[in-house]
Amino acid sequence: MNRGSWAALIAVAPAAAVVLVLLTGGVVIALSQSLSPESGETGMLTLAHFAAVVSAPGFGRSLLLTLWVALISTVLTIALAVLTALSLRRMRVFQRIATFIYQIPLTLPHMVVAAAGIMLLSQSGLLSRLLTSAGLISMPSQFPELVFDRGGVGIVLVYVWKQVPFVGLFALSVLQSVGADYEAAARTLGARPLQAVRHVLVPLVMPGLLPSSIIIFAFVFGAFEVPLLLGARFPSMISVLAYRLYTDVDLSLRPQSMALSFVIAIVVLVLVILYRAILTASSRRGLVEAES
Amino acid sequence: MATIILQKRALLTVFIIAMSSVTLFAGGSSEPESDAFADRFEELSWDDIVVEAAGSELFWYMWGGSDSINTFVQTYVADRLREEYEVELEMVPVTDASVYVSKVLGEQQAGRTSGGSVDLVWINGENFRSMKEADLLFGPYASVLPNLTYVNVEDPTVANDFGFPVDGYESPYGSAQMVMVYDEARVESPPDTVPELIEWIRENPGRFTYPAPPDFTGSAFLRHLFYYAAGGYERLLGPFDQALFDEVAPAAWQLLNELEPFLWREGRTYPESSTQLQNLFANSEVDFDMSYNPSGAANLVAQGRYPESTRTFVFQEGTIGNTHYVAIPFNASNKAAALVAANLLLDPATQFEKAQADVWGDLPVVEVSRIPGEWQAAFAGLPLPPSVLPADVLQRSRLPELQSPWLEAIERGWIANVLQQ
Repeated sequence: MNRGSWAALIAVAPAAAVVLVLLTGGVVIALSQSLSPESGETGMLTLAHFAAVVSAPGFGRSLLLTLWVALISTVLTIALAVLTALSLRRMRVFQRIATFIYQIPLTLPHMVVAAAGIMLLSQSGLLSRLLTSAGLISMPSQFPELVFDRGGVGIVLVYVWKQVPFVGLFALSVLQSVGADYEAAARTLGARPLQAVRHVLVPLVMPGLLPSSIIIFAFVFGAFEVPLLLGARFPSMISVLAYRLYTDVDLSLRPQSMALSFVIAIVVLVLVILYRAILTASSRRGLVEAES
Repeated sequence: MATIILQKRALLTVFIIAMSSVTLFAGGSSEPESDAFADRFEELSWDDIVVEAAGSELFWYMWGGSDSINTFVQTYVADRLREEYEVELEMVPVTDASVYVSKVLGEQQAGRTSGGSVDLVWINGENFRSMKEADLLFGPYASVLPNLTYVNVEDPTVANDFGFPVDGYESPYGSAQMVMVYDEARVESPPDTVPELIEWIRENPGRFTYPAPPDFTGSAFLRHLFYYAAGGYERLLGPFDQALFDEVAPAAWQLLNELEPFLWREGRTYPESSTQLQNLFANSEVDFDMSYNPSGAANLVAQGRYPESTRTFVFQEGTIGNTHYVAIPFNASNKAAALVAANLLLDPATQFEKAQADVWGDLPVVEVSRIPGEWQAAFAGLPLPPSVLPADVLQRSRLPELQSPWLEAIERGWIANVLQQ
């Protein structure tokens, strides 16, 4: 290695050490617990805990719910973020106001937003009471079930609210780096405004947003506090399931909790690898098309 | 290219660390060793313990979900410990016993047999059993506490915590009993037997629910219905019996499943915790709350969260009661201070202080007939808010708790047969 890479290595070392010690340490301990033999027995490492959690009744529905919440949050977030960025792209004045407003959700912790969600959206919440007193619904219980519901609507709403500003600001900067020329060119070549957006701008912005969508999906898939606060008791997202196993009175269930956490990690890892493969493939195809 | 090699090396390093740690941890759960204090403990007099406690810090991990209990601990108990014993109390509020169980278990797995971070815990029967069986507790110690003489330790509800013998590994400090909470302005005459409550739920769809077990309160409520479906609790006392469970459980699940469409949200979901049920009741979304603290509702009335017309009742069949305890982890740093605190909690003055409805309203665990005359008089003169039942009414209708394997079987059975159906 030359001097430059040594310097780089030293510069990276503190951060890498933190990651190695804290993350790897935690992961290793969790993995060893998830593979540890049943209490009281000695012997080989075992996959029994993994088998137990995956075959437990309710696991399938939890997995489906988790996938559903992660997918729908990601799609909604990206769609709304792109919409925002597109509608703000020429309005310089609004951009500054919007940037300011958009920074508010970024500063609020997820837990605070979840608590606010309960106060606003539950059937005894502010919205429901406003609608009741305005005579739009006759009883607070007619208000739709938006939190503690089996479809995870409340969870999705919180994540979308938290993430749209983040991705929206990002999309805006991507859009600005693309510049106005492509759109103008499309328009002079006869594209209608919507066609220019749909066939020129959106395809140009999307690749820049793919990494964000991977992050969002993986984050929501493994997230815990919002599903715990806003989810129905059953089915619950996998992370909440792992938490319940971890806090169970029966200490012998802890390895299962660790195993379940690993299931989350593995699913996320597989998705990310798959996603990157698609990404690489499509960018290669894009290059080939551009060259031919 | 250089970066690729670097990445490969880093991966290799991670792999090596990982493998060595796996071997380390797979075989690494060490035997609990006794520390210096435990070795000397037998020879120490109570005065020695008090001397040793002076000047130390005490980390008490306890459920922190009640403002009035927190205030009582952080002011009254902390002040007396500081002034009378020079012990600095640090109350560590937790949402669930599993927090400190994890901590102590983690320390045991890491081989930390002394200098642990938890000195005293407020423990419940299920966790007591699992900690005791995992050798996570210090003891037996209860018999050295001078104030234990005020307690009738022969009483089976004190000598056993959820049917599991205490054996001096925890010391009692209060007792509690389940009560149902309602608002007189909304429900004029509450259904005060289990079958009447079931009838009421059917006639008033959507106005009743209970916290999902394993929530402590929800689990206790569930046991009342389980007792009813089993045709009485007497058969269920004693060690867990799978055959008996299989015989009585289906009736309970059938009852609960038939009831489900009449519950809040048609039983599609349940409140996650008793705190959530309190919010539903305070918001008039449901008409009943339930509490394992007979004065819990009075506290919420005093805070203005519940209306003045809030009342409580017990079922004519009786309601479940239990004793609460503190215990000392095997590796507690300041066991002497923990012992002093455990003793202070049994002091008649402390017991009286926390029995007052505007402080906590906790039922005393000391037998009033055993304590000095002045305190007997004080207890006799305790004012009673309208939302608290007189002690003799509670005492008369007190049902025993089941052994914790029963609890676990009922909780798991509920999840599989009611929640997930």
